[in-house]
Amino acid sequence: MRDLVAALGQALRLLASGDPALYVIMGRTLLVSGAATVLALLAGVPLGYLLARRRFPGRTLLLGLVNTGMGLPPVVVGLFVWLLLARSGPLGALDLIYTRQAMVLAQLVIALPLIVGFTVTSIRALPERLPDLLWTLGAGRWRRLWLLAGEARLGLLAAIMAGFGAIISEVGASMTVGGNLEHSTRVLTTAVVTETSRGNVPLALALGLILLALAFVVNLVLTFAQTRGGR
Amino acid sequence: MSDVAIAFEHVRVARERRTILDVPRLEVPTGTTTVLFGPNGAGKTTMLRLIAGLEKPDAGVVRVDGRIGTPAGGVAYAFQEAVFLRGSVRANLALGLELRGLPPAERTDRVDASARDCGIAHLLERDAHTLSAGEAQRANLARTLALRAPIMLLDEPLAGFDRVGHARFLEDLARLLRTIAGTVVLVTHDREEAFRLADRIVVVAAGRVRAAGPLRAVLERPPDRETAELLGYTVLLDDDGALLGIPPGALRPGPGARTFRLVVERVLTVGLEARLVGDIVTRAGPVPVELPLPAGADRPPPGETVQIAADAWATIGD
Repeated sequence: MRDLVAALGQALRLLASGDPALYVIMGRTLLVSGAATVLALLAGVPLGYLLARRRFPGRTLLLGLVNTGMGLPPVVVGLFVWLLLARSGPLGALDLIYTRQAMVLAQLVIALPLIVGFTVTSIRALPERLPDLLWTLGAGRWRRLWLLAGEARLGLLAAIMAGFGAIISEVGASMTVGGNLEHSTRVLTTAVVTETSRGNVPLALALGLILLALAFVVNLVLTFAQTRGGR
Repeated sequence: MSDVAIAFEHVRVARERRTILDVPRLEVPTGTTTVLFGPNGAGKTTMLRLIAGLEKPDAGVVRVDGRIGTPAGGVAYAFQEAVFLRGSVRANLALGLELRGLPPAERTDRVDASARDCGIAHLLERDAHTLSAGEAQRANLARTLALRAPIMLLDEPLAGFDRVGHARFLEDLARLLRTIAGTVVLVTHDREEAFRLADRIVVVAAGRVRAAGPLRAVLERPPDRETAELLGYTVLLDDDGALLGIPPGALRPGPGARTFRLVVERVLTVGLEARLVGDIVTRAGPVPVELPLPAGADRPPPGETVQIAADAWATIGD
C-alpha cells in the first residue's frame, strides 16, 4: 500500500516536473494506439456492416474468425507481424521492423476483430428494415451509412473503447515489433516493463498510473459522447 | 406521368431456385388505389419491393412511370413494420423531405399537414420510439404522405391496431385515400380492408396474379373457383350446373331470390348472436356454410333441412 501511495506521489511529481521525455512517450503512446484505432475503424466498421447485413458464402466462418480474434494474445500477434516485417520476412524490404509503423500494424491487427465484432452486434441490433427505409426516403449509399452509423453510435463508441483499450494497454506486440527503442518506439507499457526489469519499481508504478489515467481520460470522453448520444 | 404508373412485364422472382413470384403482365393505372390482396406469403410484399427498387426481378422488368429501376426515394413506401430513427416524431417525418432537399419552412408545413391528416399532430414532439403500435402506424403513414410522391406504397397499413383502433383508422385511411391524387398500391390480406379501400384489386396467391381489375368487376365475376374462395365467397354448383359464388354475409335463413336447402349441423352461440352451421345440399355434394340467425328466430334442431337464401351472388368464370 505504501508503495502505491509513493508511486502516486512520484507519478504526480513526474507529470509536474514537465520532463519532456515523459511527455514524448505519452504522446507516442497516444499517436500509435490512436492511429491503429482509426485505421481499425476505417476497415472494421464497413466489414462489420457487411458481416451483419449481407449473406455470402463463408460468412459464418468469417464471423467465427472475428470472434476468435477478439481474444488474440498480443504477443502472438506481435510474433506474426515480426515474422512478416523482419528483414528476412516477406515484407522485410519495407524496412518497417522496430518502427512506430510496425507497432501501428500490430495494434491494428489486435483492434480490428474487436471493432468488427462490436460493429456486427450494434448493426444487428438495428431494425432490419432500417436501410430499406432510408433508401425509400431518398438517402444515397453514403448518406445511408452515415445515418445508420448515427443510429448505431452507442455500439460503435463501445467498439472504439474496446479497441483502443485493448491496444493502449498491450505490451507484447509493441515490444516484439517495436523493440522498445528509447527515442523512437518506447511507449508507456514498454517503459513500465523496462523500469520494472531495472528494479525501478516506483517509477514503473508511476508510469503505469499515468497510462491508466490516459486511458481513463480517453474513455471518459467517449463515455460522455455515449451518454449524450443515448437515451 | 403516363396512364400506366406501374407495369410488370414477364416478371419472375426466385428464392433458392424456387419461383416465388411470376407475373407475366400487370398494369397499375395512374391515379388509382390498387389493392394487392391475398394470403400471407403470396408475394404481395415482394411486388412492392420490386416497385420500390429494393429488389430486382430475376427475369423481366418492372417499369415505374415508364422507367426501369426505381432510384432511391423514387416512390414513397410505408413498410408493414413502422421503423423510426432515434429522435422526435417530427424529425422522423421530416427526414425524407430533408433528403429530398426541401427548405425547412416547407418541411414544417408538410409535416404539420400530414400529421394533422393522420391524427398525430399532438404526438409530433414525442420520442418516436415511445409510440404505441397504433400511433406508430399512423406516424408511418404520415411520414409517407408528407413526401407527396406520385406513387405511394402501403404495406398492411392497418396491421397492429386493436379492433376499435382498426375500424377508426380504416375510415381515416379511406377518407385520406380519396383526397390523394397520386397512385396508391396497398397490400393487405384482410378482405374488409381490400373491399373498403380498393378502386382496383389484384388477387395474388402463391406468387401468381389470379385476378386483376376494377374491384366491382372482379367481385361480380371472379375468374375461377380459387379466386372466388380467396375473396371469401361460398362456391357451389347450382341446379343448372353453373358455378355460383356467394359473397360473405349474403346468406340468410328463409326463401329468397336464390333459395338453397341446408342440412343443419348445429346452432352456434357467439355472445348474444346465434349462428346456423350446416351443409348446403348441391348436386356436387354438401357445401359447409355458417350464417347468422336473426334475433328471436327458431333454432332448428341438428339434422333438420331448412331453406336459406342468397341476396347476392356472382357467376364464376366466363
